[in-house]
Amino acid sequence: MDSALFLDEVNERQGLFQRRAFLFGGLAGAGLVALGGRLIQLQLVEAGRYQLLSEHNQFQFVLSPPPRGLILDRNGIVLASNRPDFRLLLAKDETTDVDAILARLAQLVPLDAAHLRRLKDEIEDAPRKAPVAIVEDMTWEEFSGVNVRAPELPGVTADVGEVRVYPFSGAFAHVVGYVAKVSGKDISKTGPNADPILLNPGFRIGKQGVEKAFDLDLRGKAGAKKVEVDVKGRVVSQDSRGDIPPTPGAPIRLTLDADIQNRALEVFGDDSGAAVMMDCRSGDVLCMLSAPSFDANQFVKGLTGPEYRALAEYDRKPLFNKALTANYPPGSTFKTMVALAALERGFDPARVYVCNRVWNWGGRPWHCDKAHGALDLKGAIAHSCDIYFYQTALLLGPDHIAEVARKFGLGEIHDIGIPGQKPGLVPDIAYKRRAFPRDPVWHAGETPNLGIGQGYLSVNALQLCVMASRLANGVTALKPRLVHSIGDIVQPSGVEAPALPFAREHIDFIRSAMGAVVEFGTASLYAQLNLGPIKMAGKTGTAQSHNYTGPTQGAHGAHGAWALRDHAWFIAYAPADAPRYAMSVLVEHGGFGAEASAPKAAQIMRVALLKDPEIRARIEQPAPA
Amino acid sequence: MTVSAISRPGERDRLIVKLGQIDWTLCLLLTAITGIGAVMLYSIAGASWSPWAARHLILYGVCFVVMIVLATVDLRVWFALAYPIYGVALLMLLAVAVVGHSTMGAQRWLDIGPIRIQPSEIIKVGLVLALARFYHALPADRAKWSWWLLIPAVLIGFPAALVAHQPDLGTAVLIAATGGLMMVLSGLSLRVVGVALAFVAVAVPLAAKFLLKPYQNARLFTFLNPEADRSGAGYHIIQSEIALGSGGLLGKGLGLGTQSQLNFLPEKSTDFIFSSMAEELGFLGCATVLLLYGAVIFVTLRTAAIAYSHFGRLAASGVTITFALCVLINGAMVMGLAPVVGVPMPLLSFGGTVMITMMAGFALVLSVRVHRYSEVTRG
Repeated sequence: MDSALFLDEVNERQGLFQRRAFLFGGLAGAGLVALGGRLIQLQLVEAGRYQLLSEHNQFQFVLSPPPRGLILDRNGIVLASNRPDFRLLLAKDETTDVDAILARLAQLVPLDAAHLRRLKDEIEDAPRKAPVAIVEDMTWEEFSGVNVRAPELPGVTADVGEVRVYPFSGAFAHVVGYVAKVSGKDISKTGPNADPILLNPGFRIGKQGVEKAFDLDLRGKAGAKKVEVDVKGRVVSQDSRGDIPPTPGAPIRLTLDADIQNRALEVFGDDSGAAVMMDCRSGDVLCMLSAPSFDANQFVKGLTGPEYRALAEYDRKPLFNKALTANYPPGSTFKTMVALAALERGFDPARVYVCNRVWNWGGRPWHCDKAHGALDLKGAIAHSCDIYFYQTALLLGPDHIAEVARKFGLGEIHDIGIPGQKPGLVPDIAYKRRAFPRDPVWHAGETPNLGIGQGYLSVNALQLCVMASRLANGVTALKPRLVHSIGDIVQPSGVEAPALPFAREHIDFIRSAMGAVVEFGTASLYAQLNLGPIKMAGKTGTAQSHNYTGPTQGAHGAHGAWALRDHAWFIAYAPADAPRYAMSVLVEHGGFGAEASAPKAAQIMRVALLKDPEIRARIEQPAPA
Repeated sequence: MTVSAISRPGERDRLIVKLGQIDWTLCLLLTAITGIGAVMLYSIAGASWSPWAARHLILYGVCFVVMIVLATVDLRVWFALAYPIYGVALLMLLAVAVVGHSTMGAQRWLDIGPIRIQPSEIIKVGLVLALARFYHALPADRAKWSWWLLIPAVLIGFPAALVAHQPDLGTAVLIAATGGLMMVLSGLSLRVVGVALAFVAVAVPLAAKFLLKPYQNARLFTFLNPEADRSGAGYHIIQSEIALGSGGLLGKGLGLGTQSQLNFLPEKSTDFIFSSMAEELGFLGCATVLLLYGAVIFVTLRTAAIAYSHFGRLAASGVTITFALCVLINGAMVMGLAPVVGVPMPLLSFGGTVMITMMAGFALVLSVRVHRYSEVTRG
């Protein structure tokens, strides 16, 4: 390279450099000023907006679930409450190794293979942001053990929640129902604005009975805790000033009486059926039992597949509320309705029919249990003579009978607040026309069967209890009331109902006949209360479950295979002279109504009577000389 | 000490005289910036000296001493070592390309025994030295526009390409821009500069389309529209802007920056340290630091302007350019004005090699000032 650089060239080089260096310095300065301008924009002009964004980052509101409302019986005895639940939550993100965490966890708390499989599904199904409750109901030892080892279990946090508990496990399972984990279907059913509390880990909603029907009242309103979180959503600290306290769910008081209900469950033992009792002054439902029952607490925990199948496949169907859904013909209990209809149409109760066990009419024989001989109406009810009522029904025709039956609440869904009632059926000529387009005519030969409560007729235990209570009340078409109050709001009483449009002396006649049933009639051996002056009045009924002829031959009475036997009904009220309580009892495949159902009714009735101070006073006072 | 005394022959070579000639203003400015950086690193670690603040200060202390020592090294030594340093740095870059250690998907590190070296940082100083050395001997007319300029073009382009291949686009752009600006300062025809700028304006979008890796592309487009991908690539920019904006005028106070303390801010100790500072110290803190940076640029450019030798001028200005570009690119990045590229904030950000190269650069600047009267011989 040329070694002789001329001075002017050096100077030129230096001058050019200095000009350009100066220019560069200016540009760099301009750049710094531009940065300063951007800082002014961000930090001074828009600072408010960014401070808000920063707070949104920093703070989150964590829902605090409200305590679920209690469910109480009429005397305040707790039927459903809450207890603390030590549990573990897993907050998952894309880095969570679920298998490793579960494997580690299995060493600390007992987790069997089936449980692990179900957990894995639940964790997979859970929305990304919602933590999943992976272990619940831990003992304190397990809980503290896991707490100590928390660093080995990333994403797992221990917490204390609340879980529903049903102290009487089975007795109220059908009425009170149960809560269970929220399913995806539950969330989609509630529409686009599902209550976010549904996503809270371990949150449960009512799935059956009162728990389902009044879920929103019982649920309450979620509160919120203001917590400071880091970028991974871990809670760094809590700001209790920002808390919104949860609104506890409203307590629900039922009209049921725990003593009566529990006794009913005992009395049923292994038998399958239902018992309903109403106060025949107020209409309050004191007892509504379906047997056999199940432990509602199992559903709160979550049933495994085999556990659920065992319940669902048991032939005595513990999962159904038979008081509302087991609809059968009422059998001879319906004779009270036929008799009342007859009296209302001017039938002379002294009229006598002779029963020779068989009565030939319409070209075929019609049977009775035995040859009752000559009977008037009262005797026919007391001894439950079919042949008397075949002929009485024929005098009336179906429409007059149906009209009376409907006035007594048959064929009707009663609004007691909980879902799942079957309306049953009270047939008449219009029904036949509607339901049988190929044979739309009511044949005279169908009327005798209606007269003894068989055929198309179908009723459930609640409806028969309503019928019994209206007979016992005599004045008002009482409505059943199951829910006494929701929070502070008392539900309308069952007495606020229209009057029964029947002559008082006709009802009195039916009542005296029902007294005769227990005194010397079909239930005389089975329905004694043994409470001195306090007597029960009632009516037996046997509902045919299968035809007595044909390939699956039904068994009449308490013989033969269980599933083929007749269903046993008994309706009753007591005291017979001044009715206070009315009830109905169904024993599925129980054989004769008198034998299977009446003793149960008497046992349950005794509890109600002995709890009643008026009645106690009557029992305890010495018999008048 | 008087001018007459210093003009005595040999007087300027005395160590004590050299130390007196050191630009202590610059040293003070650098220490102030580093000090603020250390305070921030202490704060965002949750009021803890580890893992960043203590190491930051210790490294600065060591580098500071070395810088002072290097400042007394005669400019002729720098001149003589310019090409060898560049050559070694280039060889190391090649070595990284072959056997480099990979962090976060990019090959940037070279492990030599216990030391971990990032050659892309060393080449910054090496390039400044090599270009200064080259232009020192190049007549002005040739520096304006001639075939000779192919040499600096290769000196710049080769390492830039290697760094881009790592891939470290930010540093590659920084190297290319530093080299380009040094060519301009050396007298490149402004007409050529205009053509080159026009070429870049056309070529960059094309390169973005065909040459960039997906993540580089994503960063680029995310910069253009951060809201499109809030939790993905746009996250860095949005969180950084929130940190800056929420700081307001006075900041949230030391240790109280929620964005950085709760880790919403990514890379809070390195690339986004400025955002952490903006959040906790507010506009006043930021403006102060920007003024300090401006002062450093002013002081170093003045050194370049008063140097007698062309080598000295170019070396000092090259360091200034690197420094200024780092500050501007990082500042623009954290404020959402530029794509997220891995360029740290000099002296504020935590990071060993960056500190070392920056301090080496300032040692060069100091040396230029100490030896500003020296005519570097060519030979």
